[in-house]
Amino acid sequence: MKRLATIARREYLERVRSKAFLVSTFLGPVLVAGFMLAPSILMERQRGKALRIVVVDATGTLREGVEQELRQQKVAGEPRFTVLPAEGGDVETARRAARGAVVEGRLDGYLYLAPDALATSKAEYFGKNVSNVMDLRLVEQSAESALTQHRLAEEGLDGARVKAVTRKLDLRTVRLTASGEREDRGASFILALMLLTLLYMTVPMWGAAIMNGVIEEKSNRVVEVIVSSIPTSYLFAGKLLGVGGAGLTQVSVWVLTMAGFGAYGAAAAGGMPMPEVSPLLMASFIVFFLLGYFLYGALYAGVGSAVNTQQEAQSLAFPVMMPMVLGFVFFPAVLGSPDSPFSVTLSLIPFFTPMLMFLRITAVTPPMWQIALSVGLTLATVIGVTWAASRVYRVGILMYGKRPTFPEMLRWIRESGG
Amino acid sequence: MNDQAIRLSGVSKAFSGHQAVADLSLSVPRGSAFGLLGPNGAGKTTTLRMILNVLGPDSGTIEILGRPAGQDTRDRIGYMPEERGLYPRMVVEEQLLFFAELKGVPRKEAARRLAPWLERLGLAPWRQRKLNELSKGMQQKAQFIATVLHEPDILILDEPLSGLDPVGVNVMRDVFVDLRRQGKTVVLSSHQMETVERLCDAIALIHRGRKVLDGPVSEVRSRHGKNTLVLSYEGDGAFLAGLPGVLKVNDFGRYVEIKMGEGADAQAILREAAARLRVSRFEVVEPSLHDIFVQQVTASGEAAA
Repeated sequence: MKRLATIARREYLERVRSKAFLVSTFLGPVLVAGFMLAPSILMERQRGKALRIVVVDATGTLREGVEQELRQQKVAGEPRFTVLPAEGGDVETARRAARGAVVEGRLDGYLYLAPDALATSKAEYFGKNVSNVMDLRLVEQSAESALTQHRLAEEGLDGARVKAVTRKLDLRTVRLTASGEREDRGASFILALMLLTLLYMTVPMWGAAIMNGVIEEKSNRVVEVIVSSIPTSYLFAGKLLGVGGAGLTQVSVWVLTMAGFGAYGAAAAGGMPMPEVSPLLMASFIVFFLLGYFLYGALYAGVGSAVNTQQEAQSLAFPVMMPMVLGFVFFPAVLGSPDSPFSVTLSLIPFFTPMLMFLRITAVTPPMWQIALSVGLTLATVIGVTWAASRVYRVGILMYGKRPTFPEMLRWIRESGG
Repeated sequence: MNDQAIRLSGVSKAFSGHQAVADLSLSVPRGSAFGLLGPNGAGKTTTLRMILNVLGPDSGTIEILGRPAGQDTRDRIGYMPEERGLYPRMVVEEQLLFFAELKGVPRKEAARRLAPWLERLGLAPWRQRKLNELSKGMQQKAQFIATVLHEPDILILDEPLSGLDPVGVNVMRDVFVDLRRQGKTVVLSSHQMETVERLCDAIALIHRGRKVLDGPVSEVRSRHGKNTLVLSYEGDGAFLAGLPGVLKVNDFGRYVEIKMGEGADAQAILREAAARLRVSRFEVVEPSLHDIFVQQVTASGEAAA
């Protein structure tokens, strides 16, 4: 066992000392923090710059109403539009002046209400930038609202009163958990998505790290020296553990940074909405990373042992990746209804568990027994897969020449007794 | 006390239908230099792997220093594979300690032993460098330290001279002589007959997984008789091939090698040659291992056909 530790130690140090590891481990949290802050920062940026807008009204009746509506439109608590008076006496002069101002950049856009606008319910917006759907929607709403109020007034109803009656609903979303309730406007969801993306990146990344390590040892013939010193199973297990340890170190750094950020970042971010970093989420991130890593890492190691070059590995590694890709395909369905029988079943299939069960945990809190069952099933699969992969490994590392086919590798699993 | 370093008795090994080693029996005496010969694919590597307990034999027994091959016996062996077997991007010192630890030497002890080795082979200034920053010769030396740092009784060197430049060859030869002096048993696997001929006391020749012949080098050679002439001359020697008793002439440019048939008269050939050429060298030599090998392999090939 001491020699197994020697292998694991070497593998661990080799990974942890590499520049790629240092960069991704310490850059990861920066990116995460960026993602967490991005929505708030984006809002902040939008806040300052109100759009300069002119209303050119050919109906002669709507301008005031529209302008008033525009002034009331707010984004992140700040008025979105600065309404400027139209230049010139008649409509044509005003249009031409506004057009000129937009082209010269003194104006962001103007709204043109044709003489028959009231009858046709049509308006035109001319602007420098007509791709910001959010802003256009606000302009549209303003004109629509003014138009509606005008029509209601013509019908003898008080516009302001109607508006008060038909006020839009403001939906406040609260996530309920065992530890209490918490207002959540999507930040937690973004965090969950990010963690899932990290899982999707790190599991294959560390799997490929093992695979490349195996291929390198094989092509250097280092492996021959090692297996002439210790049992092949020690090398296999030591590798899996050592590289896994490096992976664990990395995700632990990430999780700790995130937890720290969740706890202290909110204050630093000046009361911006921060996602909830729950212990369950963080713990399951680490657990499912490890499960995914050992499941796929063992397979990657088996693949690496069977080939001679990384090019050859690509074609064999693809089937290994398949379950992970499939899991991604099911992603929207599971996210949409995380507690449906379909989602529950999928999340209990070991090759999907690391991703899909984690996804379910981020969306709702699944029953404890389901989590336990999925972890148990995956652990059993990990043991089986590791056993089979180690047998492929033991034959593969000493084989050079033609890349074996899958049937041949299956025979290795059956036959590599002695 | 058992005086055999390695003993194989009736060892066979097959891989999915292919018989790699068949009924192989070998004895390597302690303190000897033993050459395992054979063309590529003869079963040398498989044999070595069984001695190293990387593979188990299908049948037969393998004894190392009088004990069955296992984890404790392979700690007594130092193995140097044909191609370089070190991590290219790992620091030399760290790497050598790692390999010693894998052989069961505690890290501190390994570090204590390493220092004199690094000094002796001139690697001390490079100890903190990555292996791939070293020259080929330096890498070879590092490889060698990795093979001997755990102070093995038996050394197994697979094609130790292949791919070496003249400097590397000299390093290996010095090392080889040194190991012999220390009384270590050295097993050398090669398809380069000349190397083995010069360095080994005894050989075994295997072909298609079977032992074709074995014994001390001098005995093997004398057993196959003095049937070869070496001749250097000036003039047109084309007629030599037609002389009575001459089986074959191999022209090496500066000299020719003449294979004689059973009962041929070397002196008659010399007289004929001297009459028609300016002969500067004439020698009756024992056949080289190469010749014996070719002869044996051809013979066994014919027997099989």
